[in-house]
Amino acid sequence: MKQLIISVGREFGSGGHEIAEKLAKLYELPIYDHNLLRELAAEKNLDHDALAEFDETKRKKGLFRTVRGMNSSPAYNVAQLQFEFLKKKGESGESFVVVGRCAETILKDYDGMISLFILADRAAKTERIMKLYNKSEKEALSMMNTHDKYRKQYHNEHCPGKWGDSRNYELSINSSKLGVDETVKIISAYIDARRQ
Amino acid sequence: MLAQILAVVIFVAMFIFIITEIFPRHIITLTCALLTILLVFGLGMQSLDAILSTLNVHSIFNVDFWYAAGEAHEGGSGIDWATIIFIAGMMVMVEGMAHVGFFRWLCMKIAKIVKYKVTSIFMTFMILSFVLAMFIDSITVILFLAAVTIELSQLLKFNPISMILAEVFCANLGGSATMCGDPPNIIIGNKLHYSFADFILNTGLIAAISLVFVLIYFYLVCRKELKQTASNAVDPSTLPNPSEAIKSKSGFVMSTIIFLLAVVLLVTHSMTGLTVAFIGTFIAVLTLITSGKAALSLIKKVDYETLLFFIGLFVVIGGLEETGMLNVLANFIGNICGGNMHLMVAVILWISAVASSFVDNIPFAATMIPVIKNLAATVPGANLDTLAWTLAVGTDIGGSATPIGASANVVGIATAAKEGHIIRWGRYCKLMAPATIIVLSIATAILFLRYL
Repeated sequence: MKQLIISVGREFGSGGHEIAEKLAKLYELPIYDHNLLRELAAEKNLDHDALAEFDETKRKKGLFRTVRGMNSSPAYNVAQLQFEFLKKKGESGESFVVVGRCAETILKDYDGMISLFILADRAAKTERIMKLYNKSEKEALSMMNTHDKYRKQYHNEHCPGKWGDSRNYELSINSSKLGVDETVKIISAYIDARRQ
Repeated sequence: MLAQILAVVIFVAMFIFIITEIFPRHIITLTCALLTILLVFGLGMQSLDAILSTLNVHSIFNVDFWYAAGEAHEGGSGIDWATIIFIAGMMVMVEGMAHVGFFRWLCMKIAKIVKYKVTSIFMTFMILSFVLAMFIDSITVILFLAAVTIELSQLLKFNPISMILAEVFCANLGGSATMCGDPPNIIIGNKLHYSFADFILNTGLIAAISLVFVLIYFYLVCRKELKQTASNAVDPSTLPNPSEAIKSKSGFVMSTIIFLLAVVLLVTHSMTGLTVAFIGTFIAVLTLITSGKAALSLIKKVDYETLLFFIGLFVVIGGLEETGMLNVLANFIGNICGGNMHLMVAVILWISAVASSFVDNIPFAATMIPVIKNLAATVPGANLDTLAWTLAVGTDIGGSATPIGASANVVGIATAAKEGHIIRWGRYCKLMAPATIIVLSIATAILFLRYL
């Protein structure tokens, strides 16, 4: 089978992760999200929790230094570890779905790569977060703002293109218009067309 | 007054930009250097002489830049081209040594000699790090030592973090022992005309005594961890053979000879009259000639960004010097100490150390050299030699205390992190800050007893 890599960038509360899971199930592919660090830790015999703390976080300027291209920030190095892991998976010819982690940029040179960005209306995202995490509207809004801020900072630190900018992705789609399941159908139709 | 204000504003802005890393640090210092020339020397002082004196290009064409026969005089202000040429030359030599596999071979050979026992590797690698850093920049030392430590940790099943941090500490300590070990020492040596032997007999002695205590400290702190891994018996035949690290036998022999020649030339330079600029150039040319086809790649690998960083830095500090702002700082320190030399040494040592543990020690040392010169000239009883050794030890050792204090720290942490061994500020400081305080206390005692 020809290699298929589906990268899913997402706004917090947009249902991007759920869409990624459904696509992985549909195409019978492994999915790499926060579990990527678990696999990495097991492979290298490392403490997963020590790595997970810095997953998709931005390095704090002033507390860390760069010398000859090497940086002492844990956040920067955990990101690099994940990028190397993804590149290795890509080189091995494996097909997979990857959520976040700058995958649309890191794996952009692979022919089998299809990059998606899932966004949603603010009201729909708030409602979803309230339901999913059992939060008040205020708490949901705060959670959404914080997570999206971190994702944006993390992405923009490692990639030349901006997070969520449609020019960086093959397909950007608003999941709140059709709902998660219909969005998956539209995306899979696109993926099938691309693979022909 | 306008020139003084502009010089201070540019200097402070340079420091802030270096810390924030918004732009590459060589771009920051070069931009600030250009602003110093235009605004401080041009607009504020309207002095072409100040520009020419700070650019200091004429010094390269003097015979004593290459060969200093007889009594040396104190170096002028502005760009220290001798430091830049020497560092560039040593970079070429080190790249040549790395290219043929010298460092990897040396680390693997020592691990084999101590029969791959983790505690023995721990202790010998600390000493190796100290000795290598006396002659080679600490970044290169840690780059190779940390990589081999991680490789051995995977084979011998131990956690490499403590060992890497101990190596980093010893590299910074070893760097303080000689004139060519750490950039602040090269700058201090060139600006104030001290020889390699002067450093060995003064900062070298402090570093050697401190090393004994540092070895004991790291052993005691890490002994439980080391004992746990001591039981991991591994068949030595499954481990890599040191000779596999050598990529070219003839190249290896040649680069070893060049390295030893560099050591001899540095140790004897006060007797031969050959300056560090000459030694750097000679060693680089020799390395390139003997490298054959690899010469071009060696030149490409030179860290030009660091060299440009130095050039810009010297101009910005030249701005402070020419406008007399560093005299103001010297007077301030002089007034605080009120002629008490014990207090002055303690203040310079500990403030240098604290400052170097948070900001790059190179700009700090370069800024402080004119200050200590002024102090020695104006405060009765203040001895320039004592202050120079104090400044060198403070800036070299202080850098070990935090993850951002010295380049070797960053390289050690990043090398470990590449393999997933995350070293956080807390873990780093818990092990390294007490060691730094121990060495600074020893240095304070030696400086007080020997020089005051």
